[in-house]
Amino acid sequence: MRRPLLLLLPAVIPVAVVLGATLMLGLAQSLGLVPVVGDAKFDASAYRAVIASGDLWPALYVSLAIATAATAIALVVGLATALAVRATRIGGRVLATLAASTIPIPHIIGAAAIGLLLADSGWLPRLLGADDGSWPQLVAGPWWGAVVLEYAWKESAFIALVVVTSMAADAEELSDTAAVLGAGRRARLRHIVLPLAAPALITAGAISFIYALGSFEVPWLLGRAYPEPLPVLAYRLFTSTDLAVRPQALAVAMITVGLCLAVGVAALGLLRRRSVLT
Amino acid sequence: MSPRTRIGRVVALGSQVSLSVWFVLPLVPVLLWAAARSWTFPHALPEEWGLSGAAAALADGAASAFVSSFILGLMTAALATPAGAMAAYALTFGRIRHERRISLLLLAPVFVPPFVIVMGANVALLRLHVPSSVGLALVLMVTAIPYTTFVMRSAFASYDTGIEEDARTLGAHPLHVLLRIRIPMLSGALTASAFLAFLVGWSDYVITLLIGGGQFVTVPIRVAAAASGTGNEALVAALSVAAAAPPLLLLLTLNVMSRHRSLWRRKAAEPQAAAIFPLIGANS
Repeated sequence: MRRPLLLLLPAVIPVAVVLGATLMLGLAQSLGLVPVVGDAKFDASAYRAVIASGDLWPALYVSLAIATAATAIALVVGLATALAVRATRIGGRVLATLAASTIPIPHIIGAAAIGLLLADSGWLPRLLGADDGSWPQLVAGPWWGAVVLEYAWKESAFIALVVVTSMAADAEELSDTAAVLGAGRRARLRHIVLPLAAPALITAGAISFIYALGSFEVPWLLGRAYPEPLPVLAYRLFTSTDLAVRPQALAVAMITVGLCLAVGVAALGLLRRRSVLT
Repeated sequence: MSPRTRIGRVVALGSQVSLSVWFVLPLVPVLLWAAARSWTFPHALPEEWGLSGAAAALADGAASAFVSSFILGLMTAALATPAGAMAAYALTFGRIRHERRISLLLLAPVFVPPFVIVMGANVALLRLHVPSSVGLALVLMVTAIPYTTFVMRSAFASYDTGIEEDARTLGAHPLHVLLRIRIPMLSGALTASAFLAFLVGWSDYVITLLIGGGQFVTVPIRVAAAASGTGNEALVAALSVAAAAPPLLLLLTLNVMSRHRSLWRRKAAEPQAAAIFPLIGANS
């Protein structure tokens, strides 16, 4: 190849320019350097203001709680799906097709579907005959049930996909060998399946967690008005008619991206430590 | 991990059935509402069937939203697929100096939520007078590049350059090698990455909402508007079907196409991996 660097440019330039502009201008705006109204200054007043408003800590807490709960469910269901897909031929293929068909469905459609399923007048309470007010308030409720379940539903298929495609056929052979040598179901899961699936689970789990942390439309549609998760809080401040609060929106955005990058770095660290050990 | 005992088979079947229900359940009320003319609480099934939801969706401007979504999807695929493929080629075969760092940079958009990108970069787009359609295309392209680069890198990892060398030895022009050998041999992976990039544009909500500023009304934007109100169930369901059907049909078509191709090449693909996501399996 004569000019490999030239081939890189169409991808590297847009990514570097957009991400560079995002992070640098985002940080500059959150520190008051690029005001929409008034004079430029350099201080952390936007961060102080968003803390003083009392919105930041609840937003952080609820965002992290939703992402943790959703990712935990998605990891368990995703791994179970990946194993069940390999268990029998026909049943496995049906399950694989159904799981794969949820992957290209946009999250906003997933949120609308979960709403039609779990709302007070949704299909599930109708089906279960819970028309006497006994149905728990999952949509816009205190436990964010519908939001967590939407992420868990979509991400479990994604995690299953990553685990199935990355776990090579030798997992099957190793497992069979262990069974012949007398390893029980639990021993095979613990000593063979989980270690082999771990890199895929870490990667896909981190991507799911970051998605749940930074996605706006699902909690906006299925969540309650207060407390607002980080993206919903940032969106409200960003689109406020009071342009003076714009730096606060960017402060929330920068805190969110900081969390996401920290999760990404932690996942990479976990992956690297594993690959050194094995 | 195939079951060996009768209990094992029962457990396997039970988990397959319950997991299938998990994946299908949220889609059932969408299909029921899309085909319901009248469905009052607490009936478990519609009382009257009909396509009033589709009629409401058409009256709501679903057709033009559908076209807008399609354009965004195609645009994202057209920009991100060649960029990702070229970068993956250079990173695999080009002996680039900072290969790891560049790979990490091209993966980085996955770690930055779309709303952060829009809010951070918006000032630059406005001050430089970038038209919002160009800004939208640029941000969607950047969001899709990790996927296209990743798919093409795994394709190039198992790509046999021997055939290209043979062709060159026999005097083939580099352009001929590209058009007659490399692109046809990678068609499965290229289709897969184009599909993923299309999905990024087709599914996007928050980037279109914030950069477009109401100019680009796509299907997701219509769905969000309808779903945030009350009493729109039939409309929401019809719009949801319109948003979910094209990618599903596309996936099905590509699946069938790749199966034909691999049959034709007499390649035995790993069956389950090919079934859950045919596209990634199709390129090997």
